[in-house]
Amino acid sequence: MLRGRVAEAEPDPAVAARIAAELGLDRPLPEQFLRWLGSVLTGDLGLSYATRTPVAPQLASALGVSAVLTTVALVLAAVIGIPAGVHAARRPGGVVDRVVAGMSVLGVAVPEFILAPVLVLLLAVAVPVLPALGWGDPAQVVLPALTLAAFPAALAAQLTRAETADVLGRPHVVLARAKGLPDRLVLWRHGARLALTGVTSFSGLFFAGLLSGSVVVEVVFAVPGLGRLLYDSVIGQDLPMLQAGLLAVVAVAVVVSLAAEALQLALDPVARTSVDA
Amino acid sequence: MRRAPVALTIVVAVAAIVAVVPLDAVSTDLTDRFAAPSPAHLLGTDHLGRDVLARLVGGARVSVGLTLVAVAGCAVLGTAAGLLSGYAGGAVAGVVQRLVDVLVAVPTIIVGLVVAAVRDPGTATLLIAVLVTGWSPFARLAHHLTVRERGREYVEGAVALGAGPIRIAVRHVLPNALRPLVAHACLRFANVLLSIAGLSFLGLGVQPPTPEWGVMLAEGRQFMFSAPQLVLLPAAAVVIAATIVTVLGRGLERRWSGT
Repeated sequence: MLRGRVAEAEPDPAVAARIAAELGLDRPLPEQFLRWLGSVLTGDLGLSYATRTPVAPQLASALGVSAVLTTVALVLAAVIGIPAGVHAARRPGGVVDRVVAGMSVLGVAVPEFILAPVLVLLLAVAVPVLPALGWGDPAQVVLPALTLAAFPAALAAQLTRAETADVLGRPHVVLARAKGLPDRLVLWRHGARLALTGVTSFSGLFFAGLLSGSVVVEVVFAVPGLGRLLYDSVIGQDLPMLQAGLLAVVAVAVVVSLAAEALQLALDPVARTSVDA
Repeated sequence: MRRAPVALTIVVAVAAIVAVVPLDAVSTDLTDRFAAPSPAHLLGTDHLGRDVLARLVGGARVSVGLTLVAVAGCAVLGTAAGLLSGYAGGAVAGVVQRLVDVLVAVPTIIVGLVVAAVRDPGTATLLIAVLVTGWSPFARLAHHLTVRERGREYVEGAVALGAGPIRIAVRHVLPNALRPLVAHACLRFANVLLSIAGLSFLGLGVQPPTPEWGVMLAEGRQFMFSAPQLVLLPAAAVVIAATIVTVLGRGLERRWSGT
């Protein structure tokens, strides 16, 4: 990969001093940090080295794009992974269980940078039904979202299967069966619901997977999201942009972990009433 | 389980072949680009007329070699930290384990981006990026194993004989914790291999023309429509290598946990 590098010539001391003053580099480090913190808190993320325009609007638009992509991927993953896990747990060792287990091993073992070109070859080249890259058209969301969904779907299937198999052996499920409730109702109302509370507690794993996945996916499919912004700012040595992007990643991580806790409280009445359950 | 010995045999055999066979993976021949498979080039040639098989095998050396170094580094650092926190307990364990809790959740690709922003992309950048977070799962496992072993009678015996804490940790606790750690290293192998190939794919790790599977994928992607095998072959290599070592790790784990 080529990297733009400024020629290694001696800089003019006067120009160097002017730029250092402009960037505040002549100030002591603690003051630099406080100035940076102050401007971040007032919504000023600085100017991009690459475009000389404010970072904040670019970051906002990238966040919006990534939010769409990640949400579609997560919905896909939930729609595929959770039912697959629940059905696999109904009969451990059965055909469904084996197929789901095999698929989920593949989903975790095949990284995005392999899945992406393979999906492009299948769905954009061999059977040209979808655009191979780009962003803006709903059809262009499908391939990146599918690629990004593979890991969370596989993880959700594995976790849901394990949790459901565990829950299905508990007394309340046996009671529900003994009452003569239909199989579907027992499985979903009494089994899967409780199992999902266990799955949501792994939100950190999902988030880490989606984050690193989105860097690769957005680079491969030319999607102007947060992952692409981070990557471009590293390649272009655009430090203000990188700093702002990483700040956004941390902020999103905090929001996600809070949201996961809220979801857990909504799903699990026990967690609502007792702290040390 | 029968799979572990089979996987082990395959790994050893392939590793021996890959390590020994001399192959030319970098010399180009622009008159012979995108050649179909032939006796001279068993898997054909790439966009610069380089032998694809030689590059795949060379890639095995680089990708797997780097992964082995990185996993070994992570295992040594993490085990040392886990032994320390497990044996010292108290505030030391608190600090180490909180740090581990944070680091296990940080994706290697993100760390790689940051490290590549500060240094130039390259092999050293790659190893640093993997090491920064990669030691944490080992530290977590080593901590739990150490806490478990510390309560055993042989440790009491060693204390009664007057052995110091470092001697007990290294000579007595470590050998008893070694098997689960080795099995865990096999399971981490796939993860690290994918990180290394992924970062190289993004251009932040191993640099062309060095044959590396991630680099080959990135180069092949430009010719995906006319020569899909340039993408599919390195992709298959990565997935197969990761799967075999994972199967091996699971087998070892099952065998050594005595079930």
